[in-house]
Amino acid sequence: MQIRIKLYASLRWKLFEEAEWECTPGQKIASIVEQLGLPRNDVGTVLVNGLHAAWDEMVQDGDVLSLLPRMGGG
Amino acid sequence: MSDNKMMSTDPASVVYQRCTIDLATGRADFAAVPCRNLEDVLGGFGRSFQILAERDIACAYSPKNPLILNSGLLTGTSVMTGMRSYFSGYSPLKQSGTGRPGAMWSTGSGNFGNKFKWTGLDEVIFENRSETPVYAVLREGANGPEVELKPAGHLIGLTGHAKIMALAAEYPDAHFAAIGPAGENWQNNYMGAVVMSTDNELKSGEPKSRFAGRGGMGSLMGYKNLLAIVAQSPDKLQKITPEIRDVNRDILKSGGSARFQPTSQGGGGGTWANIEVLQVFHAVPLNNFRPKGCDNVERLFRDEVEKEFDVATEACHRCGIRCHNNLFHKNEDGSRGKLAAKFDFEPLILFGSNLGVHNPKEVCDLIHRCDLLGMDAISLGTTIAYLLDYNERHPEAPVLNGAVFGDYDKIAALIDGAGRGLYPELGRGVKRLSEALGETAYAMHVKGLELPAYLPDTNPGYIFAIAGGHMSMGTHMMLAKEGKHSLDEWVQAITTGGLLQVGYDMIGLCKFVGVGIGHDLIVRAVKEAAGLEIASADIVASVRRAYLRGLALELRQGFHEHEEYTLPSQVMDDPNHKVTLPKFITHDFLAQLRERVWSIFKPEMEGLLPVLEG
Ligand code: SF4
Repeated sequence: MQIRIKLYASLRWKLFEEAEWECTPGQKIASIVEQLGLPRNDVGTVLVNGLHAAWDEMVQDGDVLSLLPRMGGG
Repeated sequence: MSDNKMMSTDPASVVYQRCTIDLATGRADFAAVPCRNLEDVLGGFGRSFQILAERDIACAYSPKNPLILNSGLLTGTSVMTGMRSYFSGYSPLKQSGTGRPGAMWSTGSGNFGNKFKWTGLDEVIFENRSETPVYAVLREGANGPEVELKPAGHLIGLTGHAKIMALAAEYPDAHFAAIGPAGENWQNNYMGAVVMSTDNELKSGEPKSRFAGRGGMGSLMGYKNLLAIVAQSPDKLQKITPEIRDVNRDILKSGGSARFQPTSQGGGGGTWANIEVLQVFHAVPLNNFRPKGCDNVERLFRDEVEKEFDVATEACHRCGIRCHNNLFHKNEDGSRGKLAAKFDFEPLILFGSNLGVHNPKEVCDLIHRCDLLGMDAISLGTTIAYLLDYNERHPEAPVLNGAVFGDYDKIAALIDGAGRGLYPELGRGVKRLSEALGETAYAMHVKGLELPAYLPDTNPGYIFAIAGGHMSMGTHMMLAKEGKHSLDEWVQAITTGGLLQVGYDMIGLCKFVGVGIGHDLIVRAVKEAAGLEIASADIVASVRRAYLRGLALELRQGFHEHEEYTLPSQVMDDPNHKVTLPKFITHDFLAQLRERVWSIFKPEMEGLLPVLEG
């Protein structure tokens, strides 16, 4: 199955902005991030179709997975 | 600070060096003061607020209101980022409905904190006010710290940076804290910052200062006729033991600090990256904190700005986090030109999209003006945004110079005028301005302190911040980061992790170390660099007490526990549907939040303040 991955800010600078991604049915977000070669610590927020999601959630065919770097300030 | 290098089960075994300077007489008294509790040991606002709590202050501009300069336990050590100094006093800006001022602290980096600590002092209390403009020289003498007040007539009217450079020519081996014209015009400008020198600034001659901006501590300094402070001492770099080297390595490797490190170092590039992340939710402040769901802010993304400017990541003295993003103009041949501005999330948004200005060159110029005049970028940017909003709503009767969103030239004139004391309407902050104009719903402040560049629509935690919205309550990104929006989650966040944010404003390190204040890294740093074995739980308990003391002090100064612990009413009455994050802040939500948070905090606040005589 195929999903669309969107990366932002430092993650985008490291890899790409947007790409179609092949994954297996039932694949968890954590495993996709690992496939991408991104350290988990670099990813602060995960969205699936614009909604906050957890690392162990599974994606569905056609989902848009957005990965945002960790934010900070103050 | 001296200690017996043992676990301080008795804080009194730790003694700090205080100097009290009476600016009216020039007299200086030195004292070795035993710590009363762990808050005194950790330092920063944990110590200064206990001094403020002993005073009954009805007006910030009163001789009885002290200005306290102090350090944190790890200031001046070799622990990375350990160079913070703190300025505390009752704030001219933060004011309760009764008219009494709120206690505040403000902090910055640069090398001033180190030099201050190396003079042998941990704390200076500036009492009263001088008749004439002076600057204070704190230096290490043959028999301990020495203090001298000197005439400062030659510094009047100079920018903060120019004051620093003038003093640097006279005092080698020193670093400086100065006010700009805004602080000198304290009657009309309550948001003056303290401008602190960096090594890079003194070497390059470029205005690469750091700022203790919040709460108008620079204006308080101006009221006292104290234009600058010189801290002169040879460098006393603490030996980097293998243990401290490991602590520093872990600070750099910890996920916490990585987001603030340069992209070239594999980091996130500093707070600048927040723009792109918040834009995913259309939650970047635009036109007075009212995003419109458009992509205007994208011109301020880092890669866009890099097309026009040379971006250099620089650092305070020996700090590997290197969080400063300094923008330089590009010469025609592509080489690096003059410094344009320091570019971080707050000034970038508050002088950019939030004023409707999207051209990076113009944003740079506005930031630069504010910095040179020595004002708090958050307070000024947010107050101007309100004014532009008001003028847009009242085209028939605009105020001041009639500027509206995007009106770069007129906004530049407003900044200059505010900094020179010509626009008290702006210089006295958004609370007073909105009350005078009779439209408070969209005035972005809580308890008189202007909001930073995170939407209030996303952070009910602002209401329990005690010294600036994002500096003293670490909940400002919880919604965007984690999507949490239930009452239980917010009560939990505010009453546990959120308040611990202030711990860094005690111990002398930057928040950009990025780990929780009870983290093993902090415990090890305190042990290795200060020789004190303090358990994580004790550090956390002490930080909590210090925060709650600050909150108790707010109530004692007359902040109303319901009416003033609230957000700008526009958030509840006119939710912004362009922001794609959950909209959950209603009047009812805030009422329940207040009730539950106070019910947890209030029993713990009992007994934290001394009883005032009379
Ligand atoms: S984290 Fe940034 S502000 Fe703090 S010491 Fe390092 S370079 Fe300076």
